Amino acid sequence: MSALSALGTLGRKKPPGQKKDNVAAYLFLTPWLLGLFVITIGPMIASLYLAFTDYNLIQAPQWTGLENFTRMLSDERLHNSLKVTFTYVLVSVPIQLAVALLLAVVLDRGVRGMAFYRSVFYLPSLLGSSVAIAILWKQIFGTDGLLNQLITPLGFAGKGWISDPSTALGTLVVLNVWTFGAPMVIFLAGLRQIPAMYYEAASVDGAGPLRRFFSITMPLLTPIIFFNLVLQIIHAFQSFTQAFVVSGGTGGPSDSTMFYTLYLYDRGFGNFDMGYASAMAWFLLVIIGVFTAANFVASKYWVFYDD
Amino acid sequence: MRPLPRLTAPPRRRVRALAAVAMAAALLATSACGGDSGGGGGDSAGEEVTLRFNWWGSDTRHKITQQVIDSFQKENPNIKVKGEFGEWAGYWDKLATTVAANDAPDVIQMDEKYLREYADRGALLDLKKAEGLDTAKFEPDTLGAGEFDGGLYGLNAGINAFTIVANPAVFKAAGVAIPDDTTWTWDDYARISAEISRKLNGKGWGTAAYGANDASLNMWARQRGESLFTEDGKLGVSKDKLAEFYTNLLALQASKATPSPEFTSQDMTAPLDQNGMATGKLAMAFSWSNQLNALSKASGQQLKLLRLPSVTGKASENGAYYKGSMFWSISSRSKHPKEAAKFVNYLANSAAAGNLLLAERGVPPNTEIRAAVTPKLQPADAASAAFIQAIAKELGKPSPPPPVGGGQVEKIIQRYTTEVLFGRLSPADAAQKFIDEINGELK
Amino acid sequence: MTTETLPRSVPATRATTPVWRRVRPALTHVALAAAAVVMLYPVIWMVVSSLRPGNEIFREPGILVRDLRIENYRLGWNALTEPFTRYLLNSAAVVLGAIVGNLVSCSMAAYAFARLNFTGKKFWFAIMLVTIMLPIHVVIVPQYILFSQAGWINTFLPLIVPKLLATDAFFVFLMVQFIRGIPRELDEAARIDGCGKGGVFLRVILPLMVPALATTTIFTFIWTWNDFFSQLIYLTDPKMYTVPVALRAFVDATASTSWGSLFAMSVVSLVPVFLAFLLGQRFLIKGIATTGIK
Repeated sequence: MSALSALGTLGRKKPPGQKKDNVAAYLFLTPWLLGLFVITIGPMIASLYLAFTDYNLIQAPQWTGLENFTRMLSDERLHNSLKVTFTYVLVSVPIQLAVALLLAVVLDRGVRGMAFYRSVFYLPSLLGSSVAIAILWKQIFGTDGLLNQLITPLGFAGKGWISDPSTALGTLVVLNVWTFGAPMVIFLAGLRQIPAMYYEAASVDGAGPLRRFFSITMPLLTPIIFFNLVLQIIHAFQSFTQAFVVSGGTGGPSDSTMFYTLYLYDRGFGNFDMGYASAMAWFLLVIIGVFTAANFVASKYWVFYDD
Repeated sequence: MRPLPRLTAPPRRRVRALAAVAMAAALLATSACGGDSGGGGGDSAGEEVTLRFNWWGSDTRHKITQQVIDSFQKENPNIKVKGEFGEWAGYWDKLATTVAANDAPDVIQMDEKYLREYADRGALLDLKKAEGLDTAKFEPDTLGAGEFDGGLYGLNAGINAFTIVANPAVFKAAGVAIPDDTTWTWDDYARISAEISRKLNGKGWGTAAYGANDASLNMWARQRGESLFTEDGKLGVSKDKLAEFYTNLLALQASKATPSPEFTSQDMTAPLDQNGMATGKLAMAFSWSNQLNALSKASGQQLKLLRLPSVTGKASENGAYYKGSMFWSISSRSKHPKEAAKFVNYLANSAAAGNLLLAERGVPPNTEIRAAVTPKLQPADAASAAFIQAIAKELGKPSPPPPVGGGQVEKIIQRYTTEVLFGRLSPADAAQKFIDEINGELK
Repeated sequence: MTTETLPRSVPATRATTPVWRRVRPALTHVALAAAAVVMLYPVIWMVVSSLRPGNEIFREPGILVRDLRIENYRLGWNALTEPFTRYLLNSAAVVLGAIVGNLVSCSMAAYAFARLNFTGKKFWFAIMLVTIMLPIHVVIVPQYILFSQAGWINTFLPLIVPKLLATDAFFVFLMVQFIRGIPRELDEAARIDGCGKGGVFLRVILPLMVPALATTTIFTFIWTWNDFFSQLIYLTDPKMYTVPVALRAFVDATASTSWGSLFAMSVVSLVPVFLAFLLGQRFLIKGIATTGIK
């Protein structure tokens, strides 16, 4: 524990006194508060209001009370979309973060050509939601795709990975994991912020690389791991573009990639039912809110702040 | 969380309440139909008027349409037309948003799927009442596609018919003759398709599966005395006919006339130039007549249009109808309806526009323009124009456009077709669920 | 503060054999190179596709090419009503505004949340998180109405002003997490030297959060450059179109699409983001670790 005791020399002192910096704080917050009240809050409240109405975008909204929410209870496609979304979140987020962290740690050590690898690993994330992704994915996972060409000579039976309802979601998980660039960059930036003196102190104490990783890197990186976890979960719940692009907007085959937001969009813009879509959006907000709150509560036990 | 000091709470609550009221008021104000369009009128000659004109399509269409705009502006120096274009999905999101904000373009390229969606809610102008728009050169069958409730809400911009596209090269490779489409039945179709698949032995298939869009079901129903939607906006197809539709599809799959379910499901959402017909894997596929040119280009073959098979072997009983490939509509909230009508009239009836557009949006519905333009068409477009002409005597009654909420039917039918082909639902169950779901969507 | 680079690697104290020490980096490289191939495949495929005649793209899977043609680039550049240069410049303007906006406004808000002690801090922080959680599709219509009443449709303002007002809460949260990783001793040292709140922010926090600022810059660049939905909705005149809006205008799922041109222009549009990443990543490295604070 001597490496950690080195940290102890910095200590976690309380900020001096309990004096408030209200004036300074609100000055620093002014742009954000302006944006919040002028741009963000209004539309959010409007969408909350619309959640209790029948609104077809063309005619004025009609107040319907809780009807949209009661309809959600019996909407089988909505329940299916929740199942699809939860599966996606629970499978793809941990894998993506683990891959991103692993590569960030490997790349952070003075590997020669690190800048090159870093750029290459980020490339897929640059492609973003480009239409090219949809075509590429079919070229890889389609019936005549690259994957089938690779595995059939090995004796495996090829299949239409994208077009079979039982495997289509899997290809989207792969797509999400493959674009791990963003969390990787954030991890890298975080690793770079760990003061070198901690490692020096640790090596003086004779700690090996694994030991250094678990007693310095990990604890000091926890705020960033936490950030990535919270944001990737939110992001995965709101996942839309990849499924939209790959399935051509249908969420198919057979609703197997019908993410919650895709269904929400389908109701709002496809079916002119913006009232129902708004109700769905606020329900999603509650779900994400619960996950985020749980994350924050849990963070008290594992996230280490240097303040 | 620390409780907020009492004093600061009420003002904040008031601000939020105000914001909510303001937003709601804005929504109400902008959503009120008709409204303030009466003001300008724009009849005062000499004053410059700007129209906004929206369409979807690909780069070729953007360029050609811009040329039409330029030539219109030359003839009408005090009307300025601002073209806005985009790709299909984004186009509809944007249109919905602008309509919601009372900011819709004046002239709108419209699709059958959304025609009633907008028209029934008062967002589109009745073109019968539009001053200066002449429809005398349109056949009633072509006008009918945009006509309902006594008004004309979309002017046909190109005629389409639902057909089977055949690839003669694949027929030849299989050593099978192309059938006589004026007399063939569904049994002939099934037999020929299975034979082609057998002879190609895995290198290709006889036919694509039907059920990838609403038109195939509509034609199936029309041949059996029903229709997908009725005139009064209800679902018109019965459970029995629907179950039969799917049972027959499964039989086609069992006889290997159609490809694997995975192939079919992939093919359904593939862009036109990447589907099985474009890549030369299929001898026959269901398609709209105006897609012949694009499919021919993509496949590198001179493809051929066939009439759909019928139950009786009589082409006049195969349920064929003219559909609008797309429509011209005018926003009911346009501040310059007269100028907008003038522009639509130019698009539909002027020789100059006809010569530029040719068959880019489908075979021109104006009979005079069609006659003038036909010799200038590329071979594939000329073939689809000839096909449209050839079936003119065999047409059934026009097919009513989908009612409000019916625009989603294509996605729904694709989903149930996939379920049936993968064996996840029986034809009877799929039929019942389909009917329940459509009835839930219709408003 | 010195800017001397300190060696990151610390002499290993674990007993390792010389062979292992030579083999290990080689193994790392083999593994990294294999991973790099997987990651690179799509980009190579895209470049190759952009050099193929349009209808060959889907008939010939894989990345082997027989005849290369650069005409897709020439055709694609002028395929729409404006030359592609116009869309690149429009995108550049939007991206620049968004980056400046995010850097200034988000870092200010983040400093307040991470370091200052004020009434309602937790409440505002929670509100900020909530604003990340609502899907964009239901706020886009009210937001459009708002900007349309302001007369901002068909200008870049709806794309830039929100960034100036820190509505990208993602970056505020990101910077908060980074600032909380900076030792408070440094603030206090500066305060003892006579710095006020603004001084600490400018002289201590900002220089030390360069990696976070670089991350913000890179992400803002890439995400704005690729953002389709809001640019589609707010820009109506084709002269104002940005790269993603223009790229989609090539696609027509119901007729034929000039795939060759589309891929060529996709490759062109990748170049600026890739360059931005290459340049930006240098600054990711300049953290505390290399500024040598003791």
